[in-house]
Amino acid sequence: MLLIYIFQLKTYQTFAPAYHLILEGILILWIIRLLFSKTYKLQERSDLTEKEKEELIEEWQPEPLVPLVPKDHPSLNYDVVTGPPSHRIIVNGKECINFASFNFLGLLDSERVKLKALSSLKKYGVGTCGPRGFYGTFDVHLELEERLAKFMRTEEAIIYSYGFATIASAIPAYSKRGDIVFVDEAACFSIQKGLQASRSFVKYFKHNDMEDLERLLKEQEIEDQKNPRKARVIRRFIVVEGLYINAADICPLPELVKLKYKYKVRIFLEESMSFGVLGEYGRGVTEHFGVNIDDIDLISANMENALASIGGFCCGRSFVIDHQRLSGQGYCFSASLPPMLASAAIEALNIMEEDPGIFRVLQDKCKHMHKALQGTPGLKTVGEPLTPALHLLLENSTGSRTNDLKLLRAIVDYSLDRQIALTLARYLDKEERFLPPPSIRVVVTVEQTQEEMEKAAQCIREAAVKILK
Amino acid sequence: MNVGVAHSEVNPNTRVMNSRGIWLAYLLLTTALHVVLLSIPFLSVPVVWTLTNVIHNLAMYLFLHTVKGTPFETPDQGKARLLTHWEQMDYGVQFTASRKFLTISPIDTCEHKTCYFYTKYDTAHFVVNTGSLLSVLLPKLPQFHGVRLFGINKY
Repeated sequence: MLLIYIFQLKTYQTFAPAYHLILEGILILWIIRLLFSKTYKLQERSDLTEKEKEELIEEWQPEPLVPLVPKDHPSLNYDVVTGPPSHRIIVNGKECINFASFNFLGLLDSERVKLKALSSLKKYGVGTCGPRGFYGTFDVHLELEERLAKFMRTEEAIIYSYGFATIASAIPAYSKRGDIVFVDEAACFSIQKGLQASRSFVKYFKHNDMEDLERLLKEQEIEDQKNPRKARVIRRFIVVEGLYINAADICPLPELVKLKYKYKVRIFLEESMSFGVLGEYGRGVTEHFGVNIDDIDLISANMENALASIGGFCCGRSFVIDHQRLSGQGYCFSASLPPMLASAAIEALNIMEEDPGIFRVLQDKCKHMHKALQGTPGLKTVGEPLTPALHLLLENSTGSRTNDLKLLRAIVDYSLDRQIALTLARYLDKEERFLPPPSIRVVVTVEQTQEEMEKAAQCIREAAVKILK
Repeated sequence: MNVGVAHSEVNPNTRVMNSRGIWLAYLLLTTALHVVLLSIPFLSVPVVWTLTNVIHNLAMYLFLHTVKGTPFETPDQGKARLLTHWEQMDYGVQFTASRKFLTISPIDTCEHKTCYFYTKYDTAHFVVNTGSLLSVLLPKLPQFHGVRLFGINKY
């Protein structure tokens, strides 16, 4: 091609103006430079030289397989539970009353649920051997999704096979790099992992402090006004829990909805603890406050607490939930919920729908327990009266977390000796963003009687007096 | 990376210009455009060449330097959301084979023949052709990677 060109140039030389030739010269030089310079390829592998390999091998120091830990490290002294964690739980060989498992409605041991699960096991087998998109969808999954959507009175629901992965998959499905999420400081670990996976800008506001949230929203609004083109492309979300697992209180949902419409942010509500607990029919914190469920963009909950199954679900408008069927990582790339557990969840929903009186019973028991635990010397009760899982913190901390944990563990041991099963609230200390103070978590379930609750409160009071004096 | 194969490429946009047969397809498409324009009866040959050049450069500017992000969801949470296709190619590595090909082709196939031969060195044609060529060559320079002049097309 170049030869033809040069020939043509020779023939038509008299017609070409000077600037033409200069430009052409530049372009030819450019082409030659491009053709003859080094062509880069994407680095598939980076090879180390022999010297570098030797250097790296020299400076490597082997670490011990098992690092040195003190003998009284909590991981080396654990409690062993034999059998199902139902109302009467066998801890370390002793039968105790269960004040530690999140079995709020007592459905874990329900005969109806167990029979249904067994018949489902006989029909479907154990596992599904595939994700929802690849031969892992059974009719029980679709039925459970429909039932949950109908129960929560939303358009659609989607099931995940692991409760922790539910909100951790839902958040990155909508919030990407460059988007902004406003989160409460007391958000649980799965929310934190979801935010980390989403790579968005995360702004924490003080726990249940609507003024702090409004301040953050206002700052964001000022920035948006400075750069409206950028503001049009970024999405904003608020992630809150209905009933916080770490702080045991309820989020102020009506104010949040007002803020949502004022500053145009989407609300993601995590209802793991409040589903099946709050509200007249157990529909959660939206029913508790009388907020229209269409105001909340996404409700996520895990079925491992009140519903006594495994897995989690998200519900909301079809437009929102349908997106997760392709973008929810936990939905597309994990095996689906075993059909036995899906049937158990459907039966649990049946029980919940047939007898809405149990929610009232549970709420009364929670209030009773809360009152009974007030005034324990040395311990303060953290949590709303309506919460089924409240925390007992040390009133005067010793200053170090390990010592606090030792004291609380002594109280738990004292209670275990007297057939009351309690537990310390456990966290991944190094991974949590805002590590909550060490506490004992006391769980109220529908199956506990008044006497048992009184006995537990009495036992804790004695333990506190004896150990914390 | 070919169409319909399983791959672990996080952003397929980076590899599409290295796919099998795409260079040939691009050349054939430009030739087809030129032939279609040549078959319009009332356009003279210099005008057709200039028109091919301009339309080709316009389409190239639109697809490679204007449209941002990906038409599909990527597993990297939108890393390439604000990048044009040219910036996404080969994950931003400069002077790869496809980049060189796409830089040379508007100069070579269109500019040399049109400006300097078929338009008979007419000034108006020269201005139009060179302007259009520059508009498509400048964004390809490595110095212009990620640059948005006057904030146009930034978000």
